[in-house]
Amino acid sequence: MTAPTQRVPDSALVERIMAGEEDALSALYDRYAGMLYAMLVRILKDTSAAEEVLQDLFLQLWRGASRFDASRGSLPAWLLVIGRNRALSRLRRRERREILEDPEEFSLEAVPSAGDLEDEAWRMQLMQRLRSAMATLPPEQKEALELAYFEGMTQTEIAARTGSPLGTVKSRVRAAMQSLKQFFDDGTTRQSGRS
Amino acid sequence: MERHVNPEDPDLYALGALDGEEKQAFEAHVRSCPACARALDAARQRVALLGLAAPAATPRPSVKEALMRRVREERIPEALRGHGAPSRQPKRPLGFSWLTPAFGAAAVFFAALAALIWMKDLRDNGRIQELQAQLAVAQSRSLQIANAAAETDKLLGAPGTMRVGLEQQAGWPSGRAAVLYNAKMGMVTCAGWLPAPPSDKSYQLWLVPMQGAPVPLRVFSGGEWNEPVTAHVPPGMAAKAFAVTVEPKGGMPWPTGPKVLVGGVSQGE
Repeated sequence: MTAPTQRVPDSALVERIMAGEEDALSALYDRYAGMLYAMLVRILKDTSAAEEVLQDLFLQLWRGASRFDASRGSLPAWLLVIGRNRALSRLRRRERREILEDPEEFSLEAVPSAGDLEDEAWRMQLMQRLRSAMATLPPEQKEALELAYFEGMTQTEIAARTGSPLGTVKSRVRAAMQSLKQFFDDGTTRQSGRS
Repeated sequence: MERHVNPEDPDLYALGALDGEEKQAFEAHVRSCPACARALDAARQRVALLGLAAPAATPRPSVKEALMRRVREERIPEALRGHGAPSRQPKRPLGFSWLTPAFGAAAVFFAALAALIWMKDLRDNGRIQELQAQLAVAQSRSLQIANAAAETDKLLGAPGTMRVGLEQQAGWPSGRAAVLYNAKMGMVTCAGWLPAPPSDKSYQLWLVPMQGAPVPLRVFSGGEWNEPVTAHVPPGMAAKAFAVTVEPKGGMPWPTGPKVLVGGVSQGE
């Protein structure tokens, strides 16, 4: 893709963070805080808790920027994964449930590039299209997917919550993910087509 | 790809929905199967993006202020460790106890001297970092301007490029802009002038397609608008108009604010 003209790449900002430049952290915060905060509020349903996690997330980036390898991972995707894991861990502590995955052990390299999320216009288009795609899912599929993503529930837990048979829940979650996989495949193709 | 596991399992695992035997079987398989490990990486990417479906929300400005304060607070102990703080050494008994007060006084003197030197270093380092930051910003800005000029040249020379004038709307401060759009290339360049928006607002440029919702192109604040900027849309999108609206700072996925500049695409262009 042709790089938009008014954007310093994430990788350059991360390098500047490693050099101890606070301005670079500030720029990345301005770029991604809104996106992350929206997700954290949706998971935690508590703006104060979401703000705490958001702050911790960027503090983790400040302390551990050297772990970021731009050639192998996408910073916004990493922030979304770590942010979700942190929020779900906090939610589970609140609900005294088992923590399934230690977010600190999650490898940055496990999140490959996810399209050009650095491009604000592209990111906003993706958000809009993703919301539309979610809205077109059958209600029971959407519910199952949201319980899994935003509340961190397993299929068994979703079955217990909704009172649906486990097999039915599995079918719903699989069908929802299949629809979204198609959506992302189309979106990635479109993004690649701009290269 | 050979189907080693159920094709949906990587997504379900990344989502955290798999449990029990299914989860154990998947983990055992992925550990020994590079193809499925790659499929899991791709699934993690997709699942991460689901977070973008959350309704828009904006953190309070105080969150960033607190973050930057914590960052600055962390820097001071780091600097202390690097410059003035004494390293921890095991205690070693002195053979001449009468020397202890003298050493104590000397230690206090040198500690004070080290602190003074450290404070001066901090000031100098701060100034150097400030200048480096200014230089990086200037270099980045030069690159942006050069890129914008190159993009504009590219558009101007391409067949099918149309020019659309954006006119000021009643009730808003004076301003105007022009858009160069090439549907085949999926490329838009815009240049113009607008006064700085209120501090909590941004300008946002939209493409209004012949069918469907407006497509967000770029978000602007302050004087950035004075230089050409380029955005991209899916190639082949027929434009009905272009518009600039006033939106909450950072922009919105769809227009919510008043239109400041609007330009319709003439039929036949």
